[in-house]
Amino acid sequence: MRFMMIVKSNPEQDKKTIEDKKVSEQLIGEMRKYNEQLAKAGVLLDLSGLHGTAKGTRIKFSPRGKKTVVDGPFTESKELVAGFWIIEVKSREEAIEWAKRAPAPHGPDQESEIEVRQFIELEDYLPDEAIEKYEQVARIRLEKLSQMKREARKSG
Amino acid sequence: MRFMMMIKMKKDPVAGKMPNKEAFEVMGKYNEQLAKSGVLLDMGGLQPTAKGAKIKFSEGGKKTVVDGPFAESKELIVGYWIIQTKSLEEAIEWAKRAPLQHGSDDDCEIEIRQFFEIEDLPETDRVKAAKEAGKQAGDVYREMAKEARAQQK
Repeated sequence: MRFMMIVKSNPEQDKKTIEDKKVSEQLIGEMRKYNEQLAKAGVLLDLSGLHGTAKGTRIKFSPRGKKTVVDGPFTESKELVAGFWIIEVKSREEAIEWAKRAPAPHGPDQESEIEVRQFIELEDYLPDEAIEKYEQVARIRLEKLSQMKREARKSG
Repeated sequence: MRFMMMIKMKKDPVAGKMPNKEAFEVMGKYNEQLAKSGVLLDMGGLQPTAKGAKIKFSEGGKKTVVDGPFAESKELIVGYWIIQTKSLEEAIEWAKRAPLQHGSDDDCEIEIRQFFEIEDLPETDRVKAAKEAGKQAGDVYREMAKEARAQQK
């Protein structure tokens, strides 16, 4: 079962740049250790931190096909995302255990939150051609990626 | 530049309800466009928050587990794409093309967020070595995990 562990942010954290974050070398060290634990246990599939919403954009989809582009920062929002891990584990309980082991994302003196969400897997869909389509997309993606890597190697 | 395009809704999609076949196919076509143009790195759909949990971290190292659903939340993530483009503008263009099904009110949006890349990270020895090897941020951990899984088999 795959889960996304989403580190939630807040307006104050969202404003911080990587320069501000450098100050807390202890937290960076703890995060690095935690990432290593996830990796060495073989459960880690992907991870990343996201820039603050000042560099982000939202597209709102309204009825009759109307689309509105709103530039960040999203100061009114209380539920921002700061980063994520994607893990593969045997149960929801195991995912929660991993999330509990994470260092408090904004340091020990700050309230923070990690949301654990399960992925929809292929088996959750009814078997029909839509699944074949999905698998086809996955294949194309892999081919493209390896092609890009080959080209990158060629161009040195 | 890598971006995450998150699909956000004000409430969970009706529990257990799968998108209808038509919507599913339209989305499949969009995914195919993303894939064929080489911008798609990853994507995923998330189960309703009823199957999720939250861990709240408080002062003094206290941790509280709260089970879903998160009815009080107004920004739920239902799925995402991770794409690689040349600019934010290109990412916005892709997001605008997404065939999202909205309800009667403005309850659906895509939030585009940029990834931290290796150039943004504090320059430790490991980051420096990874940079020189032409690796992306996260590659070190992904490779470590892959090795661990290979050994477990």
